[in-house]
Amino acid sequence: MTALQVSHVSKSFPGVKALDDVSMTLAGGSVHALLGENGAGKSTLIKIMTGIHRADRGEITMDGRPTRFANPRQAAAGGLGVVHQERNLVTRFSVAENIMLDRLGSHSLSRVDYAVLAEEARHWLAQLDLDIDPMTPVSRLSVAQMQLVEIGKALSLKSRVLLLDEPTASLTPSEAQVLFRTLRKLRDEGVAIGFVSHKLEEVFEICDTVTVLRDGRNACDSAPLKALTRDDVVKMMIGRAERISRRAPRPQPAAAPFFELQNYSSAAGHEDISLWVRPGEILGLYGLVGAGRSELAKAVLGLASQTGGTIYVAGTPRRIGSVSEALSLGIGYVSEDRKGEGLVLLHSVLDNAGITLWEQLSTALGFLRDATVAARVGPVLKKLEVKTPSLDQTIGNLSGGNQQKVSVAKWIAAGVRLLIIDEPSVGIDIKTKAYLHDLIHELAEQGTAVLLITSDLTEMVDVADRIAVMDDHRIRGLVENDRNYERVSTAIMGFIHGRTAPAAQAG
Amino acid sequence: MSATVNRLFDNDWVGPALVCLIAIAGISWLQPSFLSSFNIFVLLSAIAVNMVVALGQLVIIALGQMNLALGAFGGLVAISFVAIMELYGVPPMAAVAIGLAIGTAAGAATGFVIARTGISAFIITLAALQIFKGINLGITEAQPFYGVPQVVKDFGNLAVIGPIPWLVVPMVIVSVGMWYLLNRLRIGRYILAVGGNPTAAELSGINVTGTTIWAFAISGGLAAIAGMMLVARLQIGQPTIGDDWLISSFAAPVIGGAVLAGGHVSVAGTFFGVVIIAIITQALVLFAIDPFVVQIVLGALILWAVGINRFREIRVARHNEAR
Repeated sequence: MTALQVSHVSKSFPGVKALDDVSMTLAGGSVHALLGENGAGKSTLIKIMTGIHRADRGEITMDGRPTRFANPRQAAAGGLGVVHQERNLVTRFSVAENIMLDRLGSHSLSRVDYAVLAEEARHWLAQLDLDIDPMTPVSRLSVAQMQLVEIGKALSLKSRVLLLDEPTASLTPSEAQVLFRTLRKLRDEGVAIGFVSHKLEEVFEICDTVTVLRDGRNACDSAPLKALTRDDVVKMMIGRAERISRRAPRPQPAAAPFFELQNYSSAAGHEDISLWVRPGEILGLYGLVGAGRSELAKAVLGLASQTGGTIYVAGTPRRIGSVSEALSLGIGYVSEDRKGEGLVLLHSVLDNAGITLWEQLSTALGFLRDATVAARVGPVLKKLEVKTPSLDQTIGNLSGGNQQKVSVAKWIAAGVRLLIIDEPSVGIDIKTKAYLHDLIHELAEQGTAVLLITSDLTEMVDVADRIAVMDDHRIRGLVENDRNYERVSTAIMGFIHGRTAPAAQAG
Repeated sequence: MSATVNRLFDNDWVGPALVCLIAIAGISWLQPSFLSSFNIFVLLSAIAVNMVVALGQLVIIALGQMNLALGAFGGLVAISFVAIMELYGVPPMAAVAIGLAIGTAAGAATGFVIARTGISAFIITLAALQIFKGINLGITEAQPFYGVPQVVKDFGNLAVIGPIPWLVVPMVIVSVGMWYLLNRLRIGRYILAVGGNPTAAELSGINVTGTTIWAFAISGGLAAIAGMMLVARLQIGQPTIGDDWLISSFAAPVIGGAVLAGGHVSVAGTFFGVVIIAIITQALVLFAIDPFVVQIVLGALILWAVGINRFREIRVARHNEAR
């Protein structure tokens, strides 16, 4: 019984092909996992199904009839409910009011009948075995209960297809079990459930079929999960190298580490993290989404407080309380969220590239001349071949690749000795990607220590010297990178999923 | 015991109400004439007008926005109200209806521009403030209208009973109405939902544009009522009516526990906020203290109220994290 079918859907955004001929079939009475690493196209696919985006090509049918929802509201009315990853509840309102929010009355001045709302809501809460008073304010609920209320809200629209985007991301294992019990019950009642998660244990526990996306294409289309092993799924998610790395392994520099963490733990949840980077070395930090890699970078920069262990910078124990302190110690960070965290899109190329230098270059009274900054920044931008008509150009008008070059340039201009680069090639074209890889190597050759965070395993094997494997906010192992994709990926997968039986030597 | 006290203080109005009681007790002990019938009458007249003004801002705060043009709406309605009675002989009741329509329309138009352009209410209402004030000065040439009918003057200056002025009547109606709207009517719940979580509201199928227009129309209507009440009290159509509403219109709801980010307001709390401001203003006159001190005290009060707000937010956040 096919409830929702996506056939041969393609979608392009300017400069990126987000989905390329993707298909997926959700059947009533089964739970379907939608898997893929960041940027694989999962959220684009969900947005196309719910009418936020419009597919360039391909077709979506519901119960056999072609459908094209104009917006999420229409999708909900048509029986397709979505529970988004972010909580979408009005926390000061009661549970009943949240479930019935779009049905409080027939016109603006109608009186809200709370007794009727509560009665209606009680029915849906009972469906979910949720024993709470419908008049309780949502702010008093636990995260798991809020999650269930959102599901109740989707159900109250009589959804026959229910899409859940990482529903367990903020749940404890026992709370997740409550959710799963409900999902099984709904499945048995014939609801088609789409389940997005990064936790493979859960997927194998609750799901019947699986669709894996990689780089916007089907790595598998609605395959029964029973026939697959965990390793099969991981392999489909991260892919295999189609070519042998063109770079030879680099000799390890002999210098003492510039940056070292010893038994470091943080308020962001990291525990007992030990790693080090020598000048001229590229240390990779690999892990699946949610492993806590970017969070570690940010914690080290002082954005989460340190709760244990020691940070050594150039051999001296340091406490880093803020990004500007980190910068003064010679540590720079290229954010994965280039647009949100890395650049001020409305400002000029000069201001974006020079921002790290302002404190250094301003005179005693705080005066800062553009010419002074340009003199320092100009050569770096030229060297990185940033294509911009002038330094005064608004950076938002440059291409993604050029923007990324500027976000690296600002740290190079500041002369940092450790550069943390987070997902350098998200949303940029292949040519710029190769150029960035060369650039990272060149930086290392010149003695900069580099900490590279990436979800792209090919990139990791191509660029890093050593790879630290992270999972669940801990370091699981260390792999020497000999550029042999098969061996390295097996070793990494062993650390992440085997856990007990590491397939490679720990470092 | 302490749990009960804590729960009591979770009600937004309890704190401000206590402050009122203490202030009244203290001031009347120092200056018994504070509780004279005449003084109570004057105090209530001021509170009545200021409460309606505060509710005009409250509904926009609930939406998570701000209305800088509130005073300009009120001022324009005030002079239009007197002008049509003086120049065209429109009967007072009809003039009230026209004034209400002008205020509501001005508010709805402002809300429409905000909702449709997506430009922040700060900018749009700042522009609206200039435009409506300009129209006001164009009509009046900065001269007051004097043709206020006796019945209107009486409404603004006579007592219903004892020291209770007639002006309290519209205040009570408007306050109860606002409470009912925010707690019992669909539009009120939608205003609070949009203020509390705009994304959730939108994704739940709430018409955010319509809700914004409604809220500003209500705000404009309340500004109109306050403007006409002031005409009655001052017995003259002053072009400057509304010029000094801005600070206290924010101060009273905030003192009363409103969250400036939207989604949470208290009508009762706002009432005590208005009373506190009125008492302070009056007391300082009573004790012949320099008027500039009023400004400083008012500023300090806002800081205190916002501080309490912030403290509550942090406590809620901690509480949620702990789980």
